[in-house]
Amino acid sequence: MLPRRFCHCHRARLQFLSTRLIGQNVSGDQYDVIVVGGGHAGTEAAAAAARGGAQTLLVTQKLSTIGTLSCNPSFGGIGKGHLVREVDALDGLCGRLCDQTGIHFKVLNRSKGPAVWGLRAQVDRLLYRSAMQREVCATALLNVREASVEDLMVEDPDASRPGLARVTGVRLGDGAIVLGRAVILTTGTFLSGSLKFGTSSVPGGRLGEAPSVGLSLSLSELGFTKGRLKTGTPPRIRKESVNFDKLEVHHGDERPVPFSFMNAEVAIEPSQQLLCHLTYTTPGVEDVVRDTLAANDHVQQDTKGPRSLHLAVRPSRAQYRYCPSIESKVLRFPGRAHQVWLEPEGLNSELIYPQGLSMTMPVEAQVALLRHIPGLEAADIAAAGYGVQYDYLDPRQLHPTLETRKVQGLFMAGQINGTTGYEEAAAQGIVAGINAFLHTRSLPPFTISRTEGYIGVLIDDLTSLGVTEPYRMFTSRAEFRTILRPDNADQRLTERAYHQTGCISGARVVTARHIASRLSEGISLLKSLCLSSYRWKQLLPEVGISQERSGHMR
Amino acid sequence: MLWKRISKLRTVLGVLNRKVPSYGRFKPRHFCSVPPVGQGHTIFALSSGRGKCGVAVIRVSGPASAFCLCQLTRMKQGLPPPRTAVLHSISDPNSGELLDRGLLLWFPGPQSFTGEDCAEFHVHGGPAVISAILQALGSLPGLRPAEAGEFTRRAFQAGKLDLTEVEGLGDLIHAETEAQRRQALRQMAGDLGHLYQTWSHTLTRALAHLEAFIDFSEEENIEDGVLNQVDNFVRQLQMEIHSHLHDNRRGERLRSGVHVVIAGEANAGKSSLLNAICQRPAAIVSPIAGTTRDVVETALDIGGFPVLLSDTAGLRDTHDIIEKEGVRRTRERLEQADLTVALLDVVGLLEASNKLTHLLFSFLEDLNVRQKQQCILVLNKIDLLHKKELNDLHCALKKEEDLPTVCWLSCKTGSGIEEFLRVLRAELEILCGNPLLGMPSLTQARHRSHLHKCLEALGLYEYYKRADMALAAEGLRSALASLGRITGKVGAEEILNLIFRDFCIGK
Repeated sequence: MLPRRFCHCHRARLQFLSTRLIGQNVSGDQYDVIVVGGGHAGTEAAAAAARGGAQTLLVTQKLSTIGTLSCNPSFGGIGKGHLVREVDALDGLCGRLCDQTGIHFKVLNRSKGPAVWGLRAQVDRLLYRSAMQREVCATALLNVREASVEDLMVEDPDASRPGLARVTGVRLGDGAIVLGRAVILTTGTFLSGSLKFGTSSVPGGRLGEAPSVGLSLSLSELGFTKGRLKTGTPPRIRKESVNFDKLEVHHGDERPVPFSFMNAEVAIEPSQQLLCHLTYTTPGVEDVVRDTLAANDHVQQDTKGPRSLHLAVRPSRAQYRYCPSIESKVLRFPGRAHQVWLEPEGLNSELIYPQGLSMTMPVEAQVALLRHIPGLEAADIAAAGYGVQYDYLDPRQLHPTLETRKVQGLFMAGQINGTTGYEEAAAQGIVAGINAFLHTRSLPPFTISRTEGYIGVLIDDLTSLGVTEPYRMFTSRAEFRTILRPDNADQRLTERAYHQTGCISGARVVTARHIASRLSEGISLLKSLCLSSYRWKQLLPEVGISQERSGHMR
Repeated sequence: MLWKRISKLRTVLGVLNRKVPSYGRFKPRHFCSVPPVGQGHTIFALSSGRGKCGVAVIRVSGPASAFCLCQLTRMKQGLPPPRTAVLHSISDPNSGELLDRGLLLWFPGPQSFTGEDCAEFHVHGGPAVISAILQALGSLPGLRPAEAGEFTRRAFQAGKLDLTEVEGLGDLIHAETEAQRRQALRQMAGDLGHLYQTWSHTLTRALAHLEAFIDFSEEENIEDGVLNQVDNFVRQLQMEIHSHLHDNRRGERLRSGVHVVIAGEANAGKSSLLNAICQRPAAIVSPIAGTTRDVVETALDIGGFPVLLSDTAGLRDTHDIIEKEGVRRTRERLEQADLTVALLDVVGLLEASNKLTHLLFSFLEDLNVRQKQQCILVLNKIDLLHKKELNDLHCALKKEEDLPTVCWLSCKTGSGIEEFLRVLRAELEILCGNPLLGMPSLTQARHRSHLHKCLEALGLYEYYKRADMALAAEGLRSALASLGRITGKVGAEEILNLIFRDFCIGK
């Protein structure tokens, strides 16, 4: 499945990782950049900073969870695929890793024009995680440490720049202090996170993992405005209990399009791709939701609107617009059949991820609900769905570099800024990582404008408008949609980032230049081809050629 | 006084929200302290006309308005009650010297024209009084003279008026005839802006549906038929904008004046007709053919409609260089004419009675008259004909159905002039429309050009909708932007709001 070179060096890398971990429990360690969190934002941030040449430390509560896909086992989609391509153009990791570990590739919106093609892939959860861990270990100057971060260390600000304080490092759970000239927080849903099952709630950032409470407090002390958001995840279903016979089958593309500009093809054989299945909810689902409403705190709050820990950032709307759970969907749009995608979790996984069934009702009710969905009548739940509530920081407190306005050298990326989705997190992570590196070298910042990329749209929306619900990328958010295509992300970003940041590898920019020269060759070739409308019509009778300017050579 | 009148009108029209939170009788005194810096400048200007007059109105708008009221009046008990005229002495804030006694008005924001705190001084309209008060205002900290149109600009920025309403206000101030006033008032009340906003909403809806189809149709349930709906929205909009644009420039004509051109052969009596309409000797008249060599223009109010009446040089072949130029100018005028008054000497007609029809039509063709609606055929010098001859001509012309309205008159005796003016008024009404009936008219070339762009963009949608959805949506986006440019409102977030209201979209 995987390219051989990775398997070959895996063991050596793990050894390398453990040798680097030894002897780092000494307090007073000094790094250029410290990244807190090992999710999609954290890994991209840490790798980008290290690529630039910063001594980087990635601190995570559990080494084994680096690169975990906490929710859906897929990457990309409409708008989100654009983000993955742009992250890849900035030499990010996720695009390449998806190409390695994808098990079902599909380009959405094929018929709607190249500007809105949505590159999407199901990935193997376990393969992706281990590939990410290998990638992190293989990155020079990038160190990893298993610890929780309890506090931020700050000093008086650098008077020549705006800001009330300057970050100098972090204090870990064991009291050790690690010094760093820049700190990037990518804590995802862990900031004062709490998990919701029916009416009960347990502190936690993800199933079986403790929340980060100390850090949340220290951010309050620094005067950051926080809000509360929530999200949810569906139950995982055992594959053998699903009856796929009656369901609509969806195949992957015959010629999978890789995410990365570095890859000509994806790792998996096209014919070996796994299948996805589509089913729909029935009126019975609606009944179960209504009957169990009393035992479902999360949804009850939904109808009251998101609650803020502190003052509401903006007057909160009655509901999130994205219908985060099946409960909200059937309550807001009753009497409809809602789509449920049954997605494979991996090549050897026994689990199915039912996309569209995120729910927080008690487990018994979840079982009862699945009974009413064709194909899932006998479904066996391996892990119940649950909701997560967590703190986010009002992203209007950030510069477009994702550095906080209050604290110099402190960056934020990912769900902590109120976004949802792996791709949005990765996109912020790479921008924060690049700028943290530039910050440590006192170099001018690197930002992307709305005219240059979806990353620019994302960060501009966040830092100028803020959020009232988890922010998700859509192509409709981009004013310059027709030029911000997935196919030209490298031409828009790679060359400029290479010159301005130094966080882009040489191989990457060589590839981008090669593509650029092939493109301009192609364009000049096309321009040299000049015929009259009449001739064109003869050559291409099936193409509608306008008659208006007939006679002109084109 | 003009401003007061407008403000009164606005109140009547309900543009101002009249549910004003009561401030009690007086504002607290601390309001009279020097306003904090950095809140933006406070501006002032003479708002009534220049020159000696009974009353002059000086307006102040901005955060320091209360401060300057206090400084100029030295009121002991604070500010006057909101929106109530108070007679008070006005004195120089530095020397304390009495400048005038006048009415003061205090409009606390946001219930004011500009949305900011405003004050008005109604003082005696002598140039010395006005300049003394303006000087006193200019000496206060944080105050500066307003730039042209700055009050209205602030009102626009505060969302009190949209762009069409601003234009309506401008037109109202410049309205010279009754019909112009009616049209401007209607536009200022927001009728036109409302029409454009309705379109804007339709378009936003269409765009939202298309965007939903692009962003969600493959992963979520977007009902079939969404695209058909978009098609219907767009088609309906195209039709409405099209008919709005093809109103024969009624509104624009009414706003800028109808071009009426008197043309005809030399010595037919064109200048005499002009003088008869103006009721003054505006143009030189003589029995010599070719007296008028240049275009003579007069602005007139005919039945409430603004008319720019041009008398032109007679059309004839000539070797005189000056007259040649005159004929060229006549032709140029005829090109731009909204209404042509084609003038013929009735004696000439009588002489050519056997090929009357041919003569008339070649004459009209020569004048470049395309539709009979745009022309009035005037037969002058009926005083030179006998009754019987006249009757014969009448009968002969009645048979011709394709002729424009015919008026028989004599500039010399004045007979038939009244009837001619009645016909002229009727034609003007057709050209300008009744500003109070039907859809509000398009009044500005600016609107026309944006609407054309909007239509063009909708055409792009039609062109691309089967081939490339993103490009089709781009057409709708730029159509929406063109509409937004007319009223000055372009919304983006509202599209997403609509998407999420109308569709069920999952995570």
